Amino acid sequence: MVIIGENIHVIAQAVSTAVRERNAKVIQDLAKAQTEAGADYIDLNVGPMKKDTEETMKWLVNTVQGVTDLPLSIDTMNPIAMEAGLKHCKKRPLLNSASGKTNSKEQMLPLAKKYNCDVVISVMTDKGMPPDVDSKIESIMDTVAYANELGIPNEDIWVDPILLPVSTAGEGQRFAVANLEFIKILEDVLPGIKSTVGLSNTSNGVPDELRPLINRTYLVMLGRNGLHSAIADPLDKELMSLARGEMPGIVELIHKTMDGGDINLSALSPKQVEYVKTARVLKAETLYSNAWLEG
Amino acid sequence: MDYKAPVEAYTGVVREVTIGKGNKSLRIGGENTLPLHFFDQGSNPNPVKFALEVLDMKPEDWPEHAVEPYRDVISDPVSWARKCQSFGVDAVSLFLMSTDPAVRDGPADKAAELARKVAEAINVPLIVYGSGDEKKDVEVLSRVAEVCDGMNLLVGPVLKENYEAVGKAILDHGHTAIAQSPLDINLLKELNVKLSKIFPPDRIVIDPLSSALGYGMEYSFSLIERVKQIGIMTKDSMTMMPIIANLGGECWKTKQAKENKKQGLLWEGMTALSLLLAGANILVLRHPETLKLIKETIGAR
Repeated sequence: MVIIGENIHVIAQAVSTAVRERNAKVIQDLAKAQTEAGADYIDLNVGPMKKDTEETMKWLVNTVQGVTDLPLSIDTMNPIAMEAGLKHCKKRPLLNSASGKTNSKEQMLPLAKKYNCDVVISVMTDKGMPPDVDSKIESIMDTVAYANELGIPNEDIWVDPILLPVSTAGEGQRFAVANLEFIKILEDVLPGIKSTVGLSNTSNGVPDELRPLINRTYLVMLGRNGLHSAIADPLDKELMSLARGEMPGIVELIHKTMDGGDINLSALSPKQVEYVKTARVLKAETLYSNAWLEG
Repeated sequence: MDYKAPVEAYTGVVREVTIGKGNKSLRIGGENTLPLHFFDQGSNPNPVKFALEVLDMKPEDWPEHAVEPYRDVISDPVSWARKCQSFGVDAVSLFLMSTDPAVRDGPADKAAELARKVAEAINVPLIVYGSGDEKKDVEVLSRVAEVCDGMNLLVGPVLKENYEAVGKAILDHGHTAIAQSPLDINLLKELNVKLSKIFPPDRIVIDPLSSALGYGMEYSFSLIERVKQIGIMTKDSMTMMPIIANLGGECWKTKQAKENKKQGLLWEGMTALSLLLAGANILVLRHPETLKLIKETIGAR
């Protein structure tokens, strides 16, 4: 599993201030910490970036590259910021992201070709978020066909099904199940294609102390269905251990839960029970509530 | 070729909850099939029940046509409750509005004493709703539970903010609890999970909040429907409780119900009918003619 470190993100106040004030240390510390934790890419989520776009991107990319050899994921919806970022990358970067929206197809995808980089393409279209698995597949096939025509091969495309919070009443669990299914069939409909997800979004709205458990469990579940990579928190040690195959017992237990096998909870450790209960919520076998571990 | 309709058999069973004591008792819930799925396996041993509202103070904002059936008793909750009984209710629901700090901030002792008098004056079980003020209700509902010790009233609302204190009082004095959450199935389950750690789940009734027709009723409908599906189809223990739809007050707040009597009765009637179709087990109404209308509608099935 390829882990794209998510921690340089302008939503974090410290990051946004550091970028504005050109405080290299804050940014470099985050880059170093993620590199040491074993991330494969460093994501630079700069938001819309309306001011001093080119100069800021150049500074940010060079600041991060000053302390890490990892490739970068340039994460913005602004094509000018995107190009400014891609231009300064030393290693083959990841363009994060394009989508099926007309603007994005016409402005972002040619950049992926021009800079010969990998590109994240989400299932979004001009009509918004496709509501179910079939329409997600349909929309991504259209956008991928468009990218192929520009000369971008499937192997360079990382499809993002867009994860939504599992805690959203009524719909969250349905989305979680749909995205598991989507990842499972993706490779069959688009051979050679890769995939990625914004993992932490799944646990938005979940009590803070329980968010990592949702992220870790869902990563294992998606991984089993063929997920190639995730934008996630590499500073979560247990998440990294799971992603690196260092916790085969837990992984096997989550797989067994996915298969609906009989599991005797009383024979398990508290931690194992937590993983089983969480997997049951993420496959919508039991109804989500903030007290899902207690029930 | 013969067509054979598929018949579903479900694994979940809604807990059967008893309200009241001895010959004043009533059972709700107990079904192991979805509402109106007469074609599936399973049964509903306790068809939907009805209660009428009694307020602990003379209502100030009721339209004339809602006051009319209770005019002679409207200042006396005990006589009012007896009158409700004469309309053929399964239970009476007393609302302790006057205790609300935003209304009269009436004392808990007085409210509890009234609850006891009303409970003793009628031969059907009593439901008691506090004002909904999470702090004041701790005092009021605890006192009600104590003064009415052993009568097994249905007492609420128990909220996530006060479930420990109120739940304990209800449990200690032998009553049944109404667990109320704001129109959200995840919060509803969370409250039931937490309450169930200190309170027997077979003495919990769910109040998901019931909105009136035209004012969000479809949310209440979907939620009640979903609670039943999750409980009966997926056997989620924490949603397998009967549901109370407290809709009378919500309906009679609407402009449409206030405008004229016929509209009011239909507004309350359509809301009640919809929520019982969704799966509510006991409905709290305001107008006796709505009660009659709904009973006739069910009887004509």
